[in-house]
Amino acid sequence: MVYSFVKELQLMRILLVEDEKKVADIIVRGLKAERYAVDVCHDGQSGWEMADAYNYDLIILDLMLPGLTGTEILEKVRRKNSLVPILILTARDGMGDKIKNFETGADDYLTKPFAFAELQMRIKALLRRGPVNRSSVLRVGDLEIDRLSQNVKRAGKKIELTAKEYSLLEYLATHPGRVFSRTMIIEHVWDQSFQGLTNIVDVYVRHLREKLDDAFPVKLLHTVRGVGYSLSDETQA
Amino acid sequence: MNTRSISFRLVAWYAGLLTGIFMLLCALLYLDLRHFLENDLRQSQSRRTRQIANILLAHVKQTGEPYVASQTKNWYAPEINDRFIRITRADGTLVYVSDAPKDGSFDPAEVPIFPPSSQTEFSRKLQLSGNKTLLIAALNFKSSGNPAYLVEFGDLLDPVETMLNHLFLQLALGLPLAVVIIAGGGYLLVRRALTPVEQITRAAERITQYNLSERLPVSSTGDELERLSVSLNRMITRLDDAFQNSKRFVADASHDLRTPLTILRGELENFAADQRFDAELRDRIGSMLEEVVHLGKIVEQLFTLSRLDAGEAQTEWTRFDLSELAKTTAEQMSLLAEDKGISISCDVSQPMPVKGNHVRLKQVVVNLLDNAIKYTPENGAIHLRVRAVNGHAVLEVEDNGIGIPPEALPHVFERFYRVDQSRSADSESAGLGLSIVKSICTAHGAEVGAQSAVGKGSRFRVKLPLFSKGNIS
Repeated sequence: MVYSFVKELQLMRILLVEDEKKVADIIVRGLKAERYAVDVCHDGQSGWEMADAYNYDLIILDLMLPGLTGTEILEKVRRKNSLVPILILTARDGMGDKIKNFETGADDYLTKPFAFAELQMRIKALLRRGPVNRSSVLRVGDLEIDRLSQNVKRAGKKIELTAKEYSLLEYLATHPGRVFSRTMIIEHVWDQSFQGLTNIVDVYVRHLREKLDDAFPVKLLHTVRGVGYSLSDETQA
Repeated sequence: MNTRSISFRLVAWYAGLLTGIFMLLCALLYLDLRHFLENDLRQSQSRRTRQIANILLAHVKQTGEPYVASQTKNWYAPEINDRFIRITRADGTLVYVSDAPKDGSFDPAEVPIFPPSSQTEFSRKLQLSGNKTLLIAALNFKSSGNPAYLVEFGDLLDPVETMLNHLFLQLALGLPLAVVIIAGGGYLLVRRALTPVEQITRAAERITQYNLSERLPVSSTGDELERLSVSLNRMITRLDDAFQNSKRFVADASHDLRTPLTILRGELENFAADQRFDAELRDRIGSMLEEVVHLGKIVEQLFTLSRLDAGEAQTEWTRFDLSELAKTTAEQMSLLAEDKGISISCDVSQPMPVKGNHVRLKQVVVNLLDNAIKYTPENGAIHLRVRAVNGHAVLEVEDNGIGIPPEALPHVFERFYRVDQSRSADSESAGLGLSIVKSICTAHGAEVGAQSAVGKGSRFRVKLPLFSKGNIS
């Protein structure tokens, strides 16, 4: 199932401008594993030259760069009237910076340190080619989620969920098999005010697991230690 | 009036001193004048007795006693001038005695004869009926070939007394008036001189760690107060620098830790996802990842604090209902509490309009509730209350948990402060939640405080200005 959409992504070409070589390595490794073609630049000037010379499907920009800064590259690319999606990657996350960069034309913003899973999700969202499941019924194994009526059934049996439990389940079900970090879950299912309060996710996951998995031999809700949670019918080792 | 204030004490001291000096001077003046006037009178009397003796009595042999008497009467006109003149021969025969003065103020017959005296000149004071005092100078006149005579010349002391009384009255009335004027004027002067002190005090009260860029007013008078405010301002500048340094440190540190954390996290995630490793190894990597994530959380909170220091919570203000916010937050947090068997009761009755950064104020409620849940044992109870008190919205989070010892209470809002040092192994919290609460509250002009009793529970209280159309622009 995973391979079916990975094939679609084979031709996607991404430019990564990141001066921290180690960070760049990790991202490149991760993206290559996802079958993206990745070009890397470690300084602003060559980053801009590459962005100017080739048609990329996506540009990932670090803000603090030698030569040109990320913001300057962003401005230059946008002045060229290029519509390429740009994801800003930064250690700076002041509100002011965020607003300024969005105004200059950044499409998304990710603050270090981030979970690689989150970077993947955002890239997919920006490329709009990922498995953005828009169907009204989501299926994972024998689990069925009707997004219109918000009804959840497993093996044909209805499961009663609270509103929050439902939001959590629906979020996890949009990308079956993908690991969601607690921070991602907090930001999507709760809001910014709960920053740092990741234990609330654990409590909700436990409640959800009781209702979803306890009565069934095949577990759908998996914990990946240190990373987060995923919903999948493939048993993980 | 504050009797310990510098102005009061200064004025009291110097008015007291001046009053003392004035009284002393007045007494001296009075006594001196009295002495001078009597002396003056005495001298003119003695001059006159000598005139009578040397001009008239010296030639009594030639002129005869009746001449002396008539001349004396003509020269000195004692009846008109309220004087007493008497000339007595040594054998006691009366040569001349003045008549009673025209106004009949005394009777010369009342004046007793002097007892014989060996002194040539002397004087005495006689108390007459009608409370009158007669000052009499006497001269024993002896000349060869003549009998000895006693010449007495007296004046009423009344004019002197009247004058002295008048003076006394003037001083007695003038002194209190002078003291009042001096004290009043002095008070005004001192107040004026101390006004800059008042201003400096008020300005200094306003300065906290959040507005260290403000300075005290400096009056360019070149006086001690100018020097004081200038050196206080220098001190504030040094404090400001120190605060800026520590803020910059937090901002820089939380920023610079991000890249290594990203690398660590990325590498570990790769390992954790690599199916080539066995489950146990991946579990250990997961444990490391958990710590990296926790470290990231601390860095995140520090960064939040430095953003709050930079005034982030002062932006994006909207008007909203604090009661609503409290209610929904309590609902969102209720499962976390239920997990420990703790009940959250929410006591919000009426809408409470406030103005502020919604996300950040919600974080205040979240952090306070999280804190309460953390330090309340199983089956405890948490009360969340929002009510209006004197134009303020007061939000209270009360628990019946383990409480905070009194010595720790003043520090709970400090960064990385832990009530129980031994519990620092509790990896879930970094001790930053309450300092974030404090920072957000300060940015909103809200007061935040804590009350607690060990073993009984704690109460955290946030007092935020109520929004009404008039008070916030």
